[in-house]
Amino acid sequence: MTDGDTASSVATADAILEFRGVTKSFGGRAPAVRHFTLSVPRGQLVVLIGPSGCGKTTTLRMVNRLIEPTAGSIWLEGRDYKSYNPVDLRRRLGYVIQRIGLLPHLTIGDNIAFVLRLLGQPPQARRARASELLELVGLDPAEYLDRYPTELSGGQQQRIGVLRALAHDPDIILMDEPFGALDPLMREQLQEEFKRLLRTVSKTIVFVTHDMDEALSMADVIVLMKDGAIVQVAPPEEMLRHPADEFVASFMGRHRVLRQASEVLVADIMIASPVMTTTASGLARSLELMRRRRVNSLLVHDPAGHYVGVVRQSELQDHIEAGDQSPVGSLVDQTVETLAPSDSGLTAMHQLLSHEHVDSVPVLDADDRIVGLVTRGTLVGLLGDALRVAAGVQDIQLPEADSAPVGEVAR
Amino acid sequence: MTLFLHTYQFFTQHPGTIWRHTLQQLYLVAIPLAAAILVAVPLTMLATRVRQLYGPVMGFANAMQTIPSLALLALMIAIGLGIGVLPAVLALFLYALMPIVRNTYVGIMGVDPGVKDAARGMGVTSWQLLWMVELPLALHVIIAGIRSALVATIGFATLASLIGAGGLGSLIMEGMGLASNSIVLAGTIPAIVLAFLAEGLMGRVERVLTPRGLRA
Ligand SMILES: Nc1ncnc2c1ncn2[C@@H]1O[C@H](COP(=O)(O)OP(=O)(O)OP(=O)(O)O)[C@@H](O)[C@H]1O
Ligand SMILES: [Mg+2]
Repeated sequence: MTDGDTASSVATADAILEFRGVTKSFGGRAPAVRHFTLSVPRGQLVVLIGPSGCGKTTTLRMVNRLIEPTAGSIWLEGRDYKSYNPVDLRRRLGYVIQRIGLLPHLTIGDNIAFVLRLLGQPPQARRARASELLELVGLDPAEYLDRYPTELSGGQQQRIGVLRALAHDPDIILMDEPFGALDPLMREQLQEEFKRLLRTVSKTIVFVTHDMDEALSMADVIVLMKDGAIVQVAPPEEMLRHPADEFVASFMGRHRVLRQASEVLVADIMIASPVMTTTASGLARSLELMRRRRVNSLLVHDPAGHYVGVVRQSELQDHIEAGDQSPVGSLVDQTVETLAPSDSGLTAMHQLLSHEHVDSVPVLDADDRIVGLVTRGTLVGLLGDALRVAAGVQDIQLPEADSAPVGEVAR
Repeated sequence: MTLFLHTYQFFTQHPGTIWRHTLQQLYLVAIPLAAAILVAVPLTMLATRVRQLYGPVMGFANAMQTIPSLALLALMIAIGLGIGVLPAVLALFLYALMPIVRNTYVGIMGVDPGVKDAARGMGVTSWQLLWMVELPLALHVIIAGIRSALVATIGFATLASLIGAGGLGSLIMEGMGLASNSIVLAGTIPAIVLAFLAEGLMGRVERVLTPRGLRA
């Protein structure tokens, strides 16, 4: 059997969950999942990701036998899935369905402890466990235990959907877009919360999403699927650096750009010889320097060479017209944020883009000496390079320092 | 004015008669309705599991309700059941099936598939799914069906006296025979009161049985 060939290639000793050449066809159409072979080590969080309809949910539901594979087999804790009674199997696993699916006629407490009820635990024990879990996600049990699902916000309902899968402390949890249907902010908050939760308990998780941000932030391993088949299996970092093909590269596109920005150092992209002056310099002389070098601000250092601040053309002009005779040092803006050469391009991007009035950031070494300058122009160059790389299939290449825009016209 | 006076007199002079007919009426409603619930609800529940069953069950219940009530009563005689309480109860039972079958089916099938899916994913058996999820969530819809069956049965029960089943209908017949409007009213008023009471009571039951999480 061809399925057998793919299956034998993986037999990791500590795999808690293994797909061996699993195929699922619904009726006469192209299979929803094709020759899916994957080995999930104990304690790992594996993310299934891919375009809508690529078979993520189908794959997940074959694990708890809500869908039966057409061919191939699935091994859980060293046993063929067929050797499990489906109902018992589901009570051993945790499952968060794509639609939240809380039972509307039951209280939050009863929803969370539903599997415990199926397992025959007494009411007090179930209630205690539900309280414990609510507290874990910062919801006050006194307030929430006896509420009904409709009395909760969408985000709270999704939390309950996740807690419900944890109540019976399963080793394997299947999560189908557990944070879907949430706005990005809420989603990120829940991801963080969930990651924190996972640090306290060791679980093997198969996590479905179509959001690459989510995949990158949660995954130990990402499984990228397309048309029912696996395209690439790799840790996030590796998938970013070595996308298997163009499909993967384009699927990760935006993230590769950001990734590159985070890998590039400020030292590599900064303008290495910004225009500077000393605190003792006269106003008119400084203005003349600006005109000559075609910049609209100067970095100012003290006589010992330590950075003091920035002086701007408009301010100089005003003071000269007012007949001010003091040196440049008196007009320096000392509130501008600075960068270190070892900061990432992403940090620089963040500083420049988050303050509208800032159009450049000085780069200082450990002794507070000026070593360079990053401007908005620098970033445009960086992004341009990154976009070119991301569009291609080859590995990310760090731009040479001199390929970044360097020049005196920077301001 | 004199009509009301006479009616009032009839009520005060023959409380026993009125009470007896009202009680008969209650039996004529309660027994067929209870039987209809006991037969229709489980049968329809089964039909939500074995889909092929639904067509015949619903078809039969529908036919029973489509036959004009009088014809249904006549049919009881025609099939050799004669007259009296038994054929009347049978006719009323058949008549009450349809709303209960319909609402039980609609109620259970209307449970959010996402909710059922979640329950299945947590490991409920098919039986537990029915008891712990579908039935509680469909209950208020089923009760609404029983409510319409009840209203229909109360109306129909008044006719049952035509085949000698007694009840308030027979009081009305009697009054019509004697051309005494006050006796007709003595049968009619309790019938109306009964209908409203039952309707109100069922409305309350329906509300109470609607899961809090489903109430608007
Ligand atoms: N019960 C079913 N009967 C027939 N076809 C199905 C069934 N379930 C899924 N499919 C088909 O199988 C394919 C994969 O579906 P699946 O739900 O696994 O996709 P998915 O990756 O989870 O998509 P999404 O991101 O939209 O949730 C789709 O083409 C879908 O139409
Ligand atoms: Mg899906």
